[in-house]
Amino acid sequence: MRKMILFAALVQSVWAYAQPTFPVNGAREKEVVHTAITHAILHVNDIEVLNDATLLFYKGRIVNVGSNIALPSGTVILDYKNKHIYPSFVDLYSNYGQPAVEQAQWSPFPNPDRNRKGAYGWNDAIHADYAASYHFNYDEAAANDLIKAGVGAVVTHRKDGIVRGSGALVALDDNENMALLQSNVAGHYSFEKGSSKQEYPSSLMGSIALLRQTYFDAEWYKNQGIQQERNLSLESFLQLQQFPSFFETDDKWNVMRADNIGDEMKVQYIFKGSGNEYQRIQEISATKGSFILPVNFPGPYDLIDPLLARQIPLEELKHWDWAPANASSLKQAAVPFAFTTDGLEDKASFLSNIRKAARYGLDESDVIRALCKNPAQWINAYDQLGSLEKGKWANFIITSEPLLSKKCKIEENWVMGKKHEVNVTHENPWLGTYALQTDKNQDLKIVVEDKPQGVLAMWIQGQDTLSLNSTVKTDDSRITISLTPKNDSSNVSQQYLSLQKLNNSVTGWLLIAQNGDSKNITVNGKFEPKIIETDTTTEVIEEWINPITEMTYPFGAYGRTELPKQETVWIKNGTLWTNEKEGIVQGDLLIQNGKILQIGKVTPPSGIKFTTIDATGKHITCGIIDEHSHIALMSVNEHAQTSSAEVEESRVVWPEDIDIYRQLAGGVTASQLLHGSANAIGGQSALIKTRWGVNHEQMLIENAPGFIKFALGENVKHSNAGDFNSIRFPQTRMGVEQVYYDHFHQAREYGNEWKNYNLSLKSKTKLPKPRVDLEKQALLEILEGKRFITCHSYVQSEINMLMHMADSMGIKINTFTHILEGYKVADKMKAHGAAASSFSDWWAYKMEVRDAIPYNGALMHREGIVVAFNSDDAEMARRLNQEAAKAVKYGNISEEEAWKFVTLNPAKMLHLDNRMGSLKVGKDADVVIWNNSPLSVYAMAEKTYVDGRCYFDREEDGFLHQEEWNDRKALMDAMQKAIINGETPQKPKGRKRRHFHCDSTGNLYHFEEHDHENHH
Amino acid sequence: MRTTTKILSICFALISCIAQAQYSPAPQQSKSVLIMNVVAHLGNGQVLENAAIGFKQGKIELVADARTIRLAPDAYEEIIQADGKHLYPGFIAPAINLGLIEMEAVRATSDFYEVGDYNPHIRSLIAFNTDSEILPTVRSNGVLITQVTPKGGTISGTSSVVHLDAWNWEDAVIRANDGIHVHWPYPYQRSSGGLESNKNYSDEVSQLGLFFEASRAYCGMPQHNEVDPRMEAMCPVIDGNSTWYVHADDERQITESVRFKQNHKIPEMVIVGGSDAAWVAPLLKENNIPVMIPRVHSLPRFSGDEIDAPYTLAKRLNEAGVLFCFQNAGDMEAMNSRNLPFLAGTAVGYGLPYEAAVKALTLDAAKILKIDAQYGSVELGKSATFFISEGDALDMKTNNIVRAFIDGRDITIRNKQVDLYEKYQRKYGQIK
Repeated sequence: MRKMILFAALVQSVWAYAQPTFPVNGAREKEVVHTAITHAILHVNDIEVLNDATLLFYKGRIVNVGSNIALPSGTVILDYKNKHIYPSFVDLYSNYGQPAVEQAQWSPFPNPDRNRKGAYGWNDAIHADYAASYHFNYDEAAANDLIKAGVGAVVTHRKDGIVRGSGALVALDDNENMALLQSNVAGHYSFEKGSSKQEYPSSLMGSIALLRQTYFDAEWYKNQGIQQERNLSLESFLQLQQFPSFFETDDKWNVMRADNIGDEMKVQYIFKGSGNEYQRIQEISATKGSFILPVNFPGPYDLIDPLLARQIPLEELKHWDWAPANASSLKQAAVPFAFTTDGLEDKASFLSNIRKAARYGLDESDVIRALCKNPAQWINAYDQLGSLEKGKWANFIITSEPLLSKKCKIEENWVMGKKHEVNVTHENPWLGTYALQTDKNQDLKIVVEDKPQGVLAMWIQGQDTLSLNSTVKTDDSRITISLTPKNDSSNVSQQYLSLQKLNNSVTGWLLIAQNGDSKNITVNGKFEPKIIETDTTTEVIEEWINPITEMTYPFGAYGRTELPKQETVWIKNGTLWTNEKEGIVQGDLLIQNGKILQIGKVTPPSGIKFTTIDATGKHITCGIIDEHSHIALMSVNEHAQTSSAEVEESRVVWPEDIDIYRQLAGGVTASQLLHGSANAIGGQSALIKTRWGVNHEQMLIENAPGFIKFALGENVKHSNAGDFNSIRFPQTRMGVEQVYYDHFHQAREYGNEWKNYNLSLKSKTKLPKPRVDLEKQALLEILEGKRFITCHSYVQSEINMLMHMADSMGIKINTFTHILEGYKVADKMKAHGAAASSFSDWWAYKMEVRDAIPYNGALMHREGIVVAFNSDDAEMARRLNQEAAKAVKYGNISEEEAWKFVTLNPAKMLHLDNRMGSLKVGKDADVVIWNNSPLSVYAMAEKTYVDGRCYFDREEDGFLHQEEWNDRKALMDAMQKAIINGETPQKPKGRKRRHFHCDSTGNLYHFEEHDHENHH
Repeated sequence: MRTTTKILSICFALISCIAQAQYSPAPQQSKSVLIMNVVAHLGNGQVLENAAIGFKQGKIELVADARTIRLAPDAYEEIIQADGKHLYPGFIAPAINLGLIEMEAVRATSDFYEVGDYNPHIRSLIAFNTDSEILPTVRSNGVLITQVTPKGGTISGTSSVVHLDAWNWEDAVIRANDGIHVHWPYPYQRSSGGLESNKNYSDEVSQLGLFFEASRAYCGMPQHNEVDPRMEAMCPVIDGNSTWYVHADDERQITESVRFKQNHKIPEMVIVGGSDAAWVAPLLKENNIPVMIPRVHSLPRFSGDEIDAPYTLAKRLNEAGVLFCFQNAGDMEAMNSRNLPFLAGTAVGYGLPYEAAVKALTLDAAKILKIDAQYGSVELGKSATFFISEGDALDMKTNNIVRAFIDGRDITIRNKQVDLYEKYQRKYGQIK
């Protein structure tokens, strides 16, 4: 006996129709009758509820809704007394009925070209022409899963690529011609390149650049490009712009990154969230976007091994605590949201997960809005779906209880007027007691019960139950029971019983061996059904709850509940390393409003509150500036092409990198986050301050000049990239030179094109508007002196070459970075006017650093070059003060000048020395208090201020660490409790992030550990 | 005071401070040398503020207070006046591939990573390149002894202790085949499914145990008709004539390797790494297991760790009474080994007493490598292997080696980089 009727195997419909255009094999089925659901509690929409109401529908559409409505003749009336009826859910984020994405074969060779043939665009990650409606097929299993979850219609699209084409609105009907409600309801986007095996883009910032460029290309194509080429991808992309744009994100920061593009292109994306939006609710709200939220909350982690537990980042543990509160966080910030089943392995858990989310502050109308109204509205289909109103599709679910009640079960899900039974429990009608008599008037009592191991039958004689094994089979009309002695020695033989019943009177027969003869015996009797107890307990309304841990910024270890305040601080009587003509002096420093207000002899401010720090015996310096860093980034190299001038590190800043905090502890207050050295023309830098806890945009130094990374030598020509990487131009230093000439010529021509166009109103009407080319734009900025070059460089020949190239283009190489043979051409560099940012003492890691010497800095400094020491390494950046001291050791630079190698000189290179790099009135209050001379190996930063905010304090550090472990313990306890209470434990991800260097490719997280990444 | 003045005036003609051999390797010590008025960090935890250190034929024969000693005028053929300068025993850089690699990215220059899982029989000594251009740059900062260490597999092979100024590896050797390096299996694994216990961990450990016991049985045989080079190589470890170096960081790895030592009765064991060693300090102390601590200049292992965890490990082990020394295995370890003194300096900045840091760089390292009978401290009868620095050698600001001696040989502290420096100083007229 099936205890539960398999849902959806039983699609019930009082009518069936076929689309009129199709020929019919037999008599055409017509729909002639109406259907009325009566006496139900109708939840018409997110606000309105009708009690004892009727829902009338015809041909799959709602005809009328109300309490007292007239039913036409020929109406099938179905009584749903006390049942709740809600609109079926609309899931905006699905790939239901879409073919699987084909994966191309992996090849070790670089793949610069597209694989797709035809009049499409150049990049295989742009699938603008993909229309989900053309590829949609009914998928019974997937439809059933969604129906079980309460969904009636979905927007389906293919989850592949950066531009994914259009989505289609389909109802969960098995007739595709009926199910396809609307083609092209949305455009779909993401940062994931998907199945494309073309190398570009190879990083998040490459994806961003490609998407932006596609918008620009499309605009150009619309205006004039179509006269030059036909491009089906761009044509489709233009068409996509008519529809709402859905952007899939895998992290809160990517929401903001996408929103930046949207702002630029005048598109308001609807975001498919990742579930961690609560971590940055203010920024999320500022996007003005709407959110499709997953409800695949993590299960508790099994962490009884504390050595494993400590490997799990705190943010991962806290996410378990906070994930169900995501929706309510959005609600509080008035951010509209919808729910999706996407990401749920078991779609049937959809409603229970929503209920979990509701406990953190959602009421029923929030949930109906998120499941029905919002999704329908966002795709302009609220006239068809999303509420129980006249003219809409008859998509509704029937539940036993209100939606958010714990006992609520979706019993039926009607889609386009067709009923799908979902969760109806049919009690087995054969359970009970059978009091029988044989034709010889022998009594026979059988009890049929539902036991955990299945339905069992027991033979009762008097008070005793005979020791028999039983097998019971039932169907609609008959129960058959076989009873087998438990051991052979029993004097009872095998019995077979077959019964049928009418009302409660039973007839049947028994096959039995008696006295050596087998025979059938007729039996008669009465059946007494088992009394089914119904759950009558009233439900306690639970109060809304909060996560057990606090919101901190950042969300993980060493985060704070609030950002440090901008303080007025009087630092008294320290040794001030001014980096100005005053040199190293005893004195005071007063900082206020993020600036240095007074220095030397300080008059304490009156009338305001301020902090006094006795710095007797301490050393006070400006913050360290790391000219070459790769911390706090999602990706470093966009390595696929020889030039990636179009990519911007500022768009992929990752403000939660623990290395930011660790470097504050080493006195670092500003860094240039450089693109890597995988190509001759790399990407644009991000100049940041180490403002721990702020968002990705607040990390950036305000109005900082633009920089771009160039690179020479082995990395660029793929010398150490393995034998397969011998394809990309250039493979020699000879080729590298020509890359620059070629690209700068192109950039100049590009500039002229725009100049001619912008000449006058007349020229603008006469000439076609040129195409915005982000790569050439960046190179043009260099030619126009608006963007500065930092060039990765090692050997003297290439350094010399680049300066010649620059001279011939009328530009200057601002900074040579690494520049380990700079000492050999220091005179030429001086003449050119380049600065040098080097390692203090690295060498011997590859051929081109054979002649690197630690005296490099001293030699160049003495030739009058502005010299810095940088890190290019998250570890070394924590002790750049020690690296500066190596200029004293190797080359006998004075301490005062050596200190400038990591402060004032990098500030000069970055054109930020008017704001930072020394202790001077009016400069930014980026200040470090050291317990010792900063050049001493024994020095330790005690406090680090950025903009007058104390972002690192060694005393507070201990407290933050303790807080972290308190949180960890509390979360481990709570998870353990959850596991004991029956929640399914899951494996922690324990994502291990990477530490980037110059030649690191790919994005931040990966599963394999890389051993050697240190080619720099 | 009077005595000192007298000696100074008598020996004036012989005083030299800058004299040093111009070629490497330096010849045998022919003249006796006396170093006067130096701040001598003896390596055993003691410091003599105004020391007189005398050595002949490669051996130290005088360690005294320069203010009180009396010497015959001709007692020493050369006198080095080192007023205010600092003298340290040669620093020891263990557990690295110095001399086995020249250019990291050039495969042809790499000789430290052998193929195979159990390679106890491969010997680093014979690949040690005394002509490596890196060696002189390391010497110049006070590191005079290293342990040439192979990597790769579970049992990487056999290391040897050498000094850094030699004609060939036979010349360089201080202690041949001092031990076998085993990389303890890692108890956890990470896959796309998440972080979990390494399912093969127990197998890997028990396999190691089986190999150990098989080797013991093999080594106990009076003669071998068939030679197994792997087991053959294990015999000195079983006898206690060489050390079982276990590379391990996690508490679980450390603890279980100690249990392994007990189970298999391994006489001499050292932990290399031991990031978690402070957690299990009593266990290590009780079992006399020293630790070669991980590179001080490292990032904490996990995001939630104390930000200065790698900086404070030395202090914590010192306070717990665990014998330890510094090493710098990791990225670019050969080239970077010249920064070994500054690793110790950083540990001092984070609470390790200064002389304890010196001791860890010298005598304690020598004890762990079992070369302390001759090396590691400035004591009578020991090898004259030490250097003089203008200032504090643990601080990069003042580390400036002016003289260095290995077995009394007056070695050059120049290197290729100094040559290039001078060449280009001349080019630019920065010097004449």
